[in-house]
Formats: sequence, structure tokens, C-alpha cells
Amino acid sequence: MSTPERVSLVAAGVVTPIGQDLEGFWSALVTGASGISQIERVPVADLRVQRGGEVKKMGRIKDWRGVPDCRATRLLVAAADDLCVQAGLRPLPLDPARVGVVVGTALGGVEEGEKALAGVRGPRRLRDALYDGPGDRLARWLGARGPVITVSTACASGATALALGADLLRSGEADAVVAGGYDALCRFVLRGFDALRSLTRDQVRPFDRRRTGLLLGEAGALALLMRERDVSGPRLGTLLGYGSASDGHHIAAPEPEGRGLERAILAALADAGVSARDIDLVSAHGTATPLNDRIETAALKRALGPRAYQVPINSIKGSLGHTMGAAAALEAFMCLLAAQRGLIPPTLNLEDPDPECDLDYVPGRARAGNPRLMLSTSMGFGGCNGALVLEAA
Amino acid sequence: MAAPVIRALGVLSGQARPVAAGSGPPVFPLPRPERAGDRFRRSTRECLLALAAVDAMLEDGKASRQAIAGDRTALLYVTAAAYSASNREFIERRGGVVHFAYTAPAVVSAEVAIEFGVTGAYSILIGGAPATLRAIDQAGRLLETGRCDRALVLAVEIFEECADLYARHRRLNRCPLVETAACLWLEAGEGELRFRSVRGAGPVAGPTPDRERLAAGPLADLREWLERAPRGPVELSGRWRGEYAELRWSAVRSHARGSAA
Repeated sequence: MSTPERVSLVAAGVVTPIGQDLEGFWSALVTGASGISQIERVPVADLRVQRGGEVKKMGRIKDWRGVPDCRATRLLVAAADDLCVQAGLRPLPLDPARVGVVVGTALGGVEEGEKALAGVRGPRRLRDALYDGPGDRLARWLGARGPVITVSTACASGATALALGADLLRSGEADAVVAGGYDALCRFVLRGFDALRSLTRDQVRPFDRRRTGLLLGEAGALALLMRERDVSGPRLGTLLGYGSASDGHHIAAPEPEGRGLERAILAALADAGVSARDIDLVSAHGTATPLNDRIETAALKRALGPRAYQVPINSIKGSLGHTMGAAAALEAFMCLLAAQRGLIPPTLNLEDPDPECDLDYVPGRARAGNPRLMLSTSMGFGGCNGALVLEAA
Repeated sequence: MAAPVIRALGVLSGQARPVAAGSGPPVFPLPRPERAGDRFRRSTRECLLALAAVDAMLEDGKASRQAIAGDRTALLYVTAAAYSASNREFIERRGGVVHFAYTAPAVVSAEVAIEFGVTGAYSILIGGAPATLRAIDQAGRLLETGRCDRALVLAVEIFEECADLYARHRRLNRCPLVETAACLWLEAGEGELRFRSVRGAGPVAGPTPDRERLAAGPLADLREWLERAPRGPVELSGRWRGEYAELRWSAVRSHARGSAA
């Protein structure tokens, strides 16, 4: 079998609760800043937990003309604006028909559906409420006329989107792809997770003995992907491999042994053509629910063997909450920035390690390190497991 | 790309009398399938239809459920709007844990994975007919690169619960809406498959359908093609949100085991 085409992440753009561009996001991660606050944009007085990683004011775009008043779309466009500044994408320097868009989301434009059902009128409200509405709007804003794809593998969506974007380049369907993920905090998801009792009233404490649950966050995270042979300037790194696997266990709860996640990791390593001992850093899904962190620890031990005890493993969800469809893309960018800057962000709020989570979860402060190969893991509703293998530039 | 071959195809299609939806397009509904077991008591109609589509596919292929179980089976689920019904239910009834769990599109493929023990690679695409054509292409690549031994392309679309919304937003669609659940079982083959998609600001080429099944359309069209048993490649096409996609495929069946369901 021939060697697969190498795909680069040329640049990335984000909007997050801890920073509204890539530099702000990175600085906040390494300094241990928290983006968790009282939720203000939507009513939460009736909910048990009223905090989350909310983006308070999207200040980077002054003129929203042509962009609908849809939170999810605006998160995507704000992230794309950051990406465009860094990658010089507006106007598109390529044939628009050769530029694709692949976005992952757990919720799409569901808030527009809430508005439509509440009687808030809008000519395209229903169309925007469908989960592929915001991705379509992003493509229009970018002027991209290549393939436009929305994936919804729950909280693994960002990983699936990056992998599918790479596939579009390898198959020759596009010459450049804007890929990543997004999700907005809205009543729909806040009520849902409140009902599930997955949210904590405490800090989000991944892998800590006292962890009691997650908090939700909102974000947009996009990368420009291109075939490595087409990139002449600087780049963030390479997407080497991707793996996915279904739990086939329960519609909402993860499989108790993490077998699906283990299979996804092994598939990603095989796809990348590397072994567990080559991995230098792991970005864990690390939601801080009692079940997730224990299961993930077990899966990492089985998939990586002795290497699991030797590599730093962090979770950034203590800093910004669980950003759902954006999470995996943000975590992939964190990995590549860690390699570029020689610094590994800490797992915020990890103070009293759980004996069942006995790996090196980078407590305390950012740590110096020069990872070359990185693994990023994701688990989602419906037993969706995804893993990415990334290589430093 | 080497084309996958068809092992089996199950299609359930709404053909009863349409549901009146004011001034909107008529909706041809599928009944909620009955399924024994406490686990399915709260399951949504789209989930149960997905399971029924897989049952129909197994019947078409005269295969047992063990034949698709395991981590060498990939599952690609496609829908444009089937989740709208459960989303609406949760929003309007201010539902709790159970309702929320069923709002995610991923839950439909999860129910299939649980019921049939399908634990291999997966993907979930949101979109209309072009997304399904892309999923067939993607399944072909998974098979060609050895990442699975068989791939299931599942598509479900239901409309009845949101018929009034489709009526309010007639610009979204003017054709009769036909509820459809379908599942296609593919295995590695040596034919030819070409996928092409075009997007443009203006009108795009291709015929306008006289009925709409969104993501499930190409699989229903494939069944009709199989029933005609013609020679030569099948040409499937569809459009959604300004994209027109087509698939030209020498879609031979791997085993002549019964007709399409």
C-alpha cells in the first residue's frame, strides 16, 4: 500500500471563553486562567447549575452584516475570522471551488429551533436550525464553493471533522479545507445536561479524587488544512492519523471498560503508522465526570501499555469547560502549540489525584517539554470514540 | 477508487395516505415499528425505524445479525432532519433525562450499534442526498484501505412530527415528503465508483425530484434500480443547500440473494 498523502494544519483560529484568538487561548491555557463564569446570555435561574464557559462578548468582529443572528454561526465566523487573519484567507487566495469546509457539532443551530418554536420569526430560522445550517453559513461567509460537510459525532465531532477534511485533500476533492468544530451554550443543552445531573457545582477537576462532574462551554475552533507538499510557509503541524470506534453499549453512558476508546486509539496509531512508544503527549478527553476519567485512564493504559505511565497527559476542560463539538479541535490545536512553544499546559484544578487515575496528568503548572508526536482522545454521547495522532511541525 | 459491492439493501418507505399539513407539502409517514424489549419502550421513532431498516437489510441479504456484528463493521449514518422530532419533543415538553438523551443524531446510530453489536469505525454526516452519496464513497474508501470488512450506510428521515414547521417554511421544500429509513450493506469489490459534487451560488444542474426523502433518497433510488435489475452502472444524484452531487457506480450485488427489501 502506498504512503498516504501527508496533511498539514497550516494555521488555526479560535474563539473560546479564555481567549478570542489563538494567542489568547494559548496564553490562558499556560497561565492557568479559567473561563468559567455565571452564564448571562440565556436564562438559567431554574437550573441546578448556572455556570459554564461562556464567551462574554465576541469583540473581534465589528460588522456582522451578512451573518445571521445565530450564536452557533457567529462562533464559527469569529473563529474563521481569526483563522483568516493568520492564514491570509480573505479574500480566498485559491479557487473557491477547490476550498472545502468540514465542521463538527453536537448541537448545530438548535437554538434557532428553540426560537422558531417560541414564535420568534425569521425567514430562514428553520433552515438555520438544522444541524448543518451554521456550516453552510460559514462556507458562504468564507466564499468557499468546494465540499461543505457537517458531521455530528457528538463530543468527538471536532476530531471527525479534522479527519474528514484530511480525506477530502487526500482524495483530491479539495486543495484547501477549513475544518474544525463549534457549539454554543443555549437553553437546550444547559437544560439537558442539568437533567442528566452531569454538571458540577464545584470547579471542573479532571482526574482529581474530588471531581463531581463537568461544566459546559462554548467555542469555535477551525484550522486550515492543506496537503503538505502544497505548503511552502510555516505551519502548525501534521495530522498523521485518525481512528474511530463505536461502544455499542448505551445511548448515553460510556462502556465501563473503555474498549471503544481503546479501539479508536489503536486505529489512530495504525493509521498514523506509529506505535504507542512514539507518543510524547496525550490530550485526554478528561471531562471530570467520575466515570469518564476512570474509564479513560484504563483505556489509555491498555492502548499505550507502559508508555501510558511515561508521557504527560493533560485535560484543558478545567479551563474552559466541555466545548462539545469544538473540544477535540481545540485539544488538537493545544497539542500542536505545546510542541511549537515547548510548553505543556497543566490540567487546571487537579490538586488531589484520584488513585484510580494514576498517570501523569500534569497537575499544577505548565511544564517544559518538546513533544513530537501527540495523541488526542475524544468520547461522546452514543458511544462515539475518536482519536487523532498529530506531529509537530 | 475500487467500488464496493452491494451485499444487501433494506428500504422502508412511507406509502400510506399522506398527513395533512395545512398549506405545506403532504407528508407520507412510516408507522412506529413495534419492537420487543423494555429498552425500546422510550426509544424514538427514528431510532426504531433505523433498527427496522437494518432488519430489512439482513432479510434482503438472508443473513443473520451475527454477520454484521463486531469491530470490522463500519457504520455511516446520514440524516438531514430526523433529529428534529426528538429535538422538538425536548424543547416543547421541557423534557428530562430520557428525552434529552434521544435528541442527539448520534443516538440513532448508537441504537443500531447496541442492538446489532456493530463496534467498528463510524461517521455521522448531517445533510441531504449529497451527504449520503458521499457516505457511500467514504464507505468505499474504508473498505479499500482495509479499515473495515463491511460497511453499513444508514439513512433515516422522518417528517410527521414537524409537518407544521415544514408547512410554515415552504421555501425549504415544496415536494411531498416521504418518510424513509434505509440501510445499505457494502463489501469490498473491484468495480468503479465515481463521486462528484458541485456547489454554486446559482441554480445547479440535475433533475428536480417530484418527492423528497432528503438523505434517504439515494438509497430508495438504488432500490428501484436494483428492482429493475439493469445492466451497466447506476447513476445516483441529489441536491441539498446549493450542492448537487452524483455517484456513478458499477454497483453489482455480491450475492444474488433475494431482491431488495
